[in-house]
Amino acid sequence: MESPLHIVGTDALRQGLAEKVRGDARYTADLKRPGMLYGRILRCPHPHARVRAIDTAAAERAPGVHAVLTHHDATHGRIDADLAALDPELRYVGDEVAAVAAETPAQAEDALALIRVDYEVLPAVFDAREALAPDAPAVHPGGNLVDGQRVIVERGDLARGFAEAAQVFEGTFRTQVHGPVGMETRAALAEWEGDHVTVWKTSRAVHAMDRPALSRALGIPPERIRVICTNMGGGFGNKDESRLASIVALLARKTGRPVRIEYGRAEEFVAGRNRQSTENHLRIGVAADGAPVAIELQSVMNAGSYVASGRNVTRRIGQGPVYLYRCPNARFEGATAYTNRPPGGSFRGLGAPLGHFALEVLIDEIAEHLGVDPLDYRLRYQVPPEGQPGQRTTPPGQHIPDEPVEGGVPFSSNGLEACLLAGAERFGWRERRQPNGTATGPRRRGLGVAMGVYKGGVGREAQALVRIARDGKAHVAVGVVDVGQGSTTILAQIAAEALQMPLERVEMTMADTAHTPPGHITAGSSTTFSTGNAVKLAAESARNRLLEHAAAMMGVANAELQGDRFVARGDEQRSLGIGEVLERLPEDVQGEATLVVGSSEVIVNAFAAHFCEVEVEPDSGRIRIVRYVAAQDSGRIVNPRMAVSQVSGGVLQFLGIALREELLLDERSGVTLNPSFLEHKSTAFVDFPPIEVLFPAGPDPLGPFGAKALGEPPVVPVFAAVANAVANAIGVRLHEVPFTPKRVLAAINAQQGSAR
Amino acid sequence: MNEPKPSDGTVEIHLQVNGHTHALRVEPRTTLLEVLRERLDLTGAKPACDRGECGACAVLLDEQPVNACHWLAVQAAGHAIVTVEGLRERPEFRPLQEAFVAQDGGQCGYCTPGFAVAAYAALRDEPDPNPLALRWALVGHICRCNAYEAILAAIQDAGGRMRSR
Repeated sequence: MESPLHIVGTDALRQGLAEKVRGDARYTADLKRPGMLYGRILRCPHPHARVRAIDTAAAERAPGVHAVLTHHDATHGRIDADLAALDPELRYVGDEVAAVAAETPAQAEDALALIRVDYEVLPAVFDAREALAPDAPAVHPGGNLVDGQRVIVERGDLARGFAEAAQVFEGTFRTQVHGPVGMETRAALAEWEGDHVTVWKTSRAVHAMDRPALSRALGIPPERIRVICTNMGGGFGNKDESRLASIVALLARKTGRPVRIEYGRAEEFVAGRNRQSTENHLRIGVAADGAPVAIELQSVMNAGSYVASGRNVTRRIGQGPVYLYRCPNARFEGATAYTNRPPGGSFRGLGAPLGHFALEVLIDEIAEHLGVDPLDYRLRYQVPPEGQPGQRTTPPGQHIPDEPVEGGVPFSSNGLEACLLAGAERFGWRERRQPNGTATGPRRRGLGVAMGVYKGGVGREAQALVRIARDGKAHVAVGVVDVGQGSTTILAQIAAEALQMPLERVEMTMADTAHTPPGHITAGSSTTFSTGNAVKLAAESARNRLLEHAAAMMGVANAELQGDRFVARGDEQRSLGIGEVLERLPEDVQGEATLVVGSSEVIVNAFAAHFCEVEVEPDSGRIRIVRYVAAQDSGRIVNPRMAVSQVSGGVLQFLGIALREELLLDERSGVTLNPSFLEHKSTAFVDFPPIEVLFPAGPDPLGPFGAKALGEPPVVPVFAAVANAVANAIGVRLHEVPFTPKRVLAAINAQQGSAR
Repeated sequence: MNEPKPSDGTVEIHLQVNGHTHALRVEPRTTLLEVLRERLDLTGAKPACDRGECGACAVLLDEQPVNACHWLAVQAAGHAIVTVEGLRERPEFRPLQEAFVAQDGGQCGYCTPGFAVAAYAALRDEPDPNPLALRWALVGHICRCNAYEAILAAIQDAGGRMRSR
């Protein structure tokens, strides 16, 4: 029988929040070093150009200026395959041309205007399909198809599936450019000491990405580079993948002084990394009884000018279409195209919300056509706990990917049905839902449902070090970054539970390459599952060593911890207080773990079912969200209060994107038109109702104390849940995110036009 | 930050921050936010938009919340500035801090000091505010983690804690 949990599953208070409220928590741009200079970056005014010549003499003579950095100074390796530390070829309006370090921010900014650049303007391309045409201007030397190949994954025999289908449904779905828009902009501070450099930066991977990238860009071994992230002001899958840290470190080396640069808001919008636009064509064949027998998604993603996350964002568009419904034949093909738009990158959910949008809207259309309640259709054809039909293709003994394709492999746990049922009950689906398009009047209510499947958190190499000190404190060191989601608290809870120690005695050290073992990137919602399992294992190992010491001190074979005493197993009379044992320890007790968490037998995925109620004004095209229920299967919830914050926050973030947020580009000039909070409006205090969050599923057998991924899954179904509710309200299908009043009216007009 | 030379168009101001008066030479274009953060190392007010659109840099100016990025330092001279570092020394700040932690009223925390400053002023003006009025009072503050409901709960909780003291 499982022993009861004392700390995992409780609403432990978020660590560090008191310091944040008080303004004590230091983020990268809050840091200063003696003699520090301020850097600013010169950005390209053309969408595609080559630097013929650059004259920095006047800038170098300007007041307060210590150095100007150009591509001539960046002669070492590349940051990424497609990204040099500075590059004479410039690929978007805003691309980094040069940088200045000066004694004040204003002096650095003034000096930028004194740099004379002779640009050879090159032809530009903004549209992904045009970029993939044979005669398109090449954004990168290797051509515009990222990695020179499309992502193709398939299961079964698609042609046979469509041949067997009684009916085929299809649709084209578009999504626009989504900015993650963390409140903290990118920032970095570098300081050299001899041939060693310390870089403080906004980060989600000090070990896994920053140090190797800096090593390449600076031409020094990683051991001479220390990277620290003190606090992160919002990650959302973003905040790295740029030249910033390399530029700062090169400027600091050139000036011999510490240098700090933080992006302005417009820089963050343009030169940060955004999820670029996609076009997705989805076809679903269904048998006479309505069961899906063939699903095919073809996607084209506009990657912009650089895409450090490569084809990963594109690949994840396919996750839902390939796996969310039981279907023997499925195929995803995705092309990723370089263009002269601002750079692409990862954002919460990567491509998954985009693919789910297409899938869950088309499924709703199918259910409507078949006369089946969309909830019932989902209950009937959702992917079951035993996974997809078909043959396993992963060789025996190898880990099953958590972006699965193959059939014949069950899930570790699958709470999809529990989410559908619990969500529907809370929402009142059965009692309240009316047929699509039957509402009348100037404001029409509608209810929608959508599901989601997402990575469960396995697959990254995780390490943890747990040291029990003689003062009774447990020190946990992990290399991952708390990007603001709260992993410090979650990992501390896991450690305390495994150690059987009070949470107050656990101290976390994270995100510093000098004081933590290597850690994976904070991405793919993997921290709780992957690093959490490593922390649990390391903590158990430390605790076992402590028990061995206690047993040895009592001269017995085995001891166990009961309350605050170590008791000899089999002889309850013999015991030692924790304090006595700690005092007599010859040295601190340490446990460590290194593992690639995963399974060669099962798929680890997280699930969600969301229910949305909207009110639509057909005359204005305006949508108001009336009610929203999010039911999540993330296994056992380590900290329910923080989990509610995470889910509610993710849903609200994506409701804003669903209805409004979109970065606009002028295709004549390549200029981003709305890089500010005023023109690109984030969700605000008065926009949406409170999100009702449910966790109806049970623990996962492989997760640490049963936990699964939580960070991204809540954003996956949002677009479709809203679109399906709108269809229910006004009988019109939305195929393009965001659902601005203009697009809603266009969809209404298009349907009225076709009905005539 | 190094003191700029007086010859390059700087002016001397006396800035009263958290009860202390600082004599500073600044360029007239320097914002209050930059002076607070880079000259006085008061980094509780956060830069996030630099144009008064998000509230992350809120401070009290003559006890009213303002965006420090929207004030030039030369304009702020002669006014009493209180940053979150000054506010937290007041006894009324303690229940606010406790309530934010108790209600999980922040995630990444970057916008949080700005919210705390605004919440302080809102509760001073209306100790028992109705939720809708609070939402509108704080509508100029953006939280990209979207912790709004928890922030709302925190401020109401803080109001209760203050009233029961």
